[in-house]
Amino acid sequence: MKIVKIIVASHGTPGAKVAEATALNLARENGASLHHLLVVPDFWKGMKGDDWLNNAVTQFRFGNYVENQLAQEAAEEIDRLAGLAAGKSVSYSHDIQLGKPADCLIKECDAGVFDVAVIGSPRPRGVPGYRSRMALEKLVRGLTAQLIITPHPEQ
Amino acid sequence: MIYTKKHPALLIMGIIFLAIAFLTDTGSMNGLVGYLSVKKFVGEMVGMGYAFGAIGVIVGAWHQWGQHKEGNVDYYLSTIAGAIFILLIAMAVRWYGAPLVAVASKAIGPVMGAKHLHDVLGLNYVVLGILAGIITVNVFGIPAWAENGVRLSRLGLKTGVILLGTLYSLGELASLGRLSAVMVGIFVLGAVGMVLWLGRRRNIPNSMGGVLSAGMGVCGVSATVAAAPVVQAKSVEIAYTIGTILIWGVGCMFLFPVIGNILDLGHIQFGAWAGTGILNSAQVAGAALAYQPDGIETLKVAEIFNITRVLFLPIIVLWLAVWYVRLEETDPGHTVNVGTVIFEKFPVFVLGFILMFALSSTGVFAPAQHYKGKFFDNNIKAEKLLKSGQVATLTAEAGKLKRADRKQAVASLIENKKIMSIEDETVIRGIYNAKILSKGSNKVLKTATKVVRHTAKMIKKFRQWITLLFAFGLTGLGMQITIAAMKQAGGQPLVIGGIVGTTKAVLSLLVILLFVKETI
Repeated sequence: MKIVKIIVASHGTPGAKVAEATALNLARENGASLHHLLVVPDFWKGMKGDDWLNNAVTQFRFGNYVENQLAQEAAEEIDRLAGLAAGKSVSYSHDIQLGKPADCLIKECDAGVFDVAVIGSPRPRGVPGYRSRMALEKLVRGLTAQLIITPHPEQ
Repeated sequence: MIYTKKHPALLIMGIIFLAIAFLTDTGSMNGLVGYLSVKKFVGEMVGMGYAFGAIGVIVGAWHQWGQHKEGNVDYYLSTIAGAIFILLIAMAVRWYGAPLVAVASKAIGPVMGAKHLHDVLGLNYVVLGILAGIITVNVFGIPAWAENGVRLSRLGLKTGVILLGTLYSLGELASLGRLSAVMVGIFVLGAVGMVLWLGRRRNIPNSMGGVLSAGMGVCGVSATVAAAPVVQAKSVEIAYTIGTILIWGVGCMFLFPVIGNILDLGHIQFGAWAGTGILNSAQVAGAALAYQPDGIETLKVAEIFNITRVLFLPIIVLWLAVWYVRLEETDPGHTVNVGTVIFEKFPVFVLGFILMFALSSTGVFAPAQHYKGKFFDNNIKAEKLLKSGQVATLTAEAGKLKRADRKQAVASLIENKKIMSIEDETVIRGIYNAKILSKGSNKVLKTATKVVRHTAKMIKKFRQWITLLFAFGLTGLGMQITIAAMKQAGGQPLVIGGIVGTTKAVLSLLVILLFVKETI
């Protein structure tokens, strides 16, 4: 099987970093390019919850702050993985999407032609992080690329 | 950007409102109205049905077939669809859903003394409205045509609080204000301090401690939203904190009325407890209305606590800002502008509340001396004076009275055949409440007090509007509580939040049981 384009879904958690390493090694061995998909979970749209006391200025400031915070965290992840790819002489591209992880990965794979998609395995219980898991059944039903799921480092 | 969506939904909702009004007005719904025992809502069904039905049909036709151009008209009229959407759900629950639950609950029979299941669980139109909102957003999602208007629920709640200002007397406001300042002061500062202390022991970052302490201490998600940028909280810390507070708030809204019913708390006691122990201010209002759906005495107490809490918010945010900058000395660019923090976080709607209270006190809406919308006026018609038989009944028993003030008040009543002053009225109420005289005499005394107490029509209208605004606002806020956000609860915030939230709720209940009496 010829591997030309690999997509890795990662937002820098320990599990996703294992997926990144696997994808980078695979890309270098096959001379393939690496596309990095970073998903910002859509639960952020409901994160003002039932706040009603604050005025518009405070709500606007909070919205801007969260957006900047998420953009900054995403930029850090992209810079980090771009650096790792450059270190291994792997061609790197990235995309940021807002939504549910599985939906976004399926959509990204539909938009570009990828041979392999690499993701980390779900975070074990008790390990800190967002409650925004990849819906595996939905993913395997909808994904057009071959899928590699790497084991979590704490398992 | 054009905000109005070409969609028939608003038009359809308008037609539904008109149909409800027409069918109720013509008596076609009498069977249902009788079965659900909702005769008291018939006026609302007809009045609101025609009014909002007309608005829905006219604006809905414009949404569907009108020409939409960028600008204020487009922006403001686009919100009508969302507002009518909330209103339709809120009123469907108030007029039909909650009464149906009550009918089913009554069919089961009493479960706690004389109380039925829906009374004990507080399953009335407010709680069911919030639940309907939560189900709507999590199962179906908010439709695109309604998104812009759903935010109006906040305006509804703030308007409700502003109108609530008309219902307080000066003495009531002063007493409740003092009580709330003490309770909120102790428990807000205590909870903030406890979170920061526990946070240090459990080695959480200062930014996480800051945002969590504001949320747990002051007013839940609102305080988190206000404090997060100030303490530079990380995104995962915000997610954990808001998730924890939402779960806690929704849980408390259901749990507090049940505990209140078990302990048989009075309205003041429950309002004070909910206002201190429940984190999220929206759920404080929800729990208060759940506890007393047919009156707003509990809500009045709870809202004073809410207002006190929100007045604490700028102070706590400022404190956290200074605390954070002092601890995080490595970031020289982050400074605290005291004026900006106070100005931005100050809840402007509280000024509206104070203004309405002041206007009410001047007698614009009702005579200045009104209490709970009722005022004293003994300028009554001759046929309302005590009859000779009633005077004779009182004269025969007047000798049983020992206290001078009671003797004097009854003597004055006998002489004038009506109560002559508010002071006399208070004394006479004391006589029949103490059941010193016979049933016949007590009946005469009650009649005498009744004819000099009048209900202010404007205040009665305000009470009705307040109830509707809260039902509208809380149903709309329910539409903004997502399961995805609640699922973010976790990590150290869940542990620390659980400890501090439970401690605050239990200790505030103990204080209220020990020190708060049922009279203000």
